[in-house]
Amino acid sequence: MSKFSLEQKTNGSTEVFYLKGFLDAHTAPELESAIAGAIAAGNHRLVVNFNDLEYISSAGLGVFMVFIEEVRASGGDIKLTAMKQKVYTVFDLLGFPMLFDITDKEEEALAKFAA
Amino acid sequence: MSNASTFIHERLTASGDTTELERIRQFVQDKAREFGFSEQGIHKIALAVDEACSNLIRHSYHLDDTREFFIDIHPQDDEALVIEILDNGTAFDPLTVPAPDLKQYAAQHRKGGFGVHIIRMVMDAVEYFPAEAAQQMNRLKLVKKLS
Repeated sequence: MSKFSLEQKTNGSTEVFYLKGFLDAHTAPELESAIAGAIAAGNHRLVVNFNDLEYISSAGLGVFMVFIEEVRASGGDIKLTAMKQKVYTVFDLLGFPMLFDITDKEEEALAKFAA
Repeated sequence: MSNASTFIHERLTASGDTTELERIRQFVQDKAREFGFSEQGIHKIALAVDEACSNLIRHSYHLDDTREFFIDIHPQDDEALVIEILDNGTAFDPLTVPAPDLKQYAAQHRKGGFGVHIIRMVMDAVEYFPAEAAQQMNRLKLVKKLS
C-alpha cells in the first residue's frame, strides 16, 4: 500500500503540486512522472507544496535534482514551499537550501514567479 | 528516560521490494520510541535505516522480492541503540562513497548518492563488515546514542 498521493493544480502560468503522505524510494517515481509530464507539456514554472507531506527520504529529494537544471535552462524554476520541520531537516542536511528556492508559504513562491 | 529493559534483541525480515520501506521504518520507529528517543531522534534513525535499505533493495538486490535481508535492533548499555542491516548481496562499503557535490549533481541530473551522506550525518557511528565467507552476511552497523 502506497501512503503517498499528489494533486496537481494550474495557477495562472504555474503548475502547483500538492504532496501528501510519505515520499520514499517506493513512492518517488510517482512524483517524478508527474513532474516529467508537466515539463513535457511545456510548463517550466513549478511549485511543490509540502504542507501535507509527513516524510521524505533522499529518493524524494532526488526527483528535484533530476529536473532543476532543465527547468531553469528554460527560464523556469521548481520552487519548494510549506515544509514541515521534519521534512525541511532532510533538505537542510544535504544543503538543498543553497540550490533551491524554499519558501514558507505557497503565495510567496507564486509571487516570485509573478515578479 | 530509557526503557531499554523492555526489549533485548528484535529482528525484522524484509524482502527486496521498496514497498517494504514503510514497514521497516515503522519497526525501527517503534523500537526507538520504546527505547526513549525523542521524536527528532526517532525520525533520524528511521531515515538512516530507510536510506540504507533503499540502497540495498535497489542497487544490491535489484528489486528482487524473493531475496531477504534482516534488520536487527538491540540496545547497547542502555545508552545507545544499535541497528544492524544484514544482507547477502555483493559487498559494498557505503563509507567509501564521497560526500555529494550538490551543484555538480544537479548539472548531471543525478538523483542518487545522497543516502549514504544522510546516514553518516544523522547517526553517531556507522561501520561496515563485508561477509568473509560464503555462509556469512554483509553487515552495516548503525549506532545512535540516546543523548
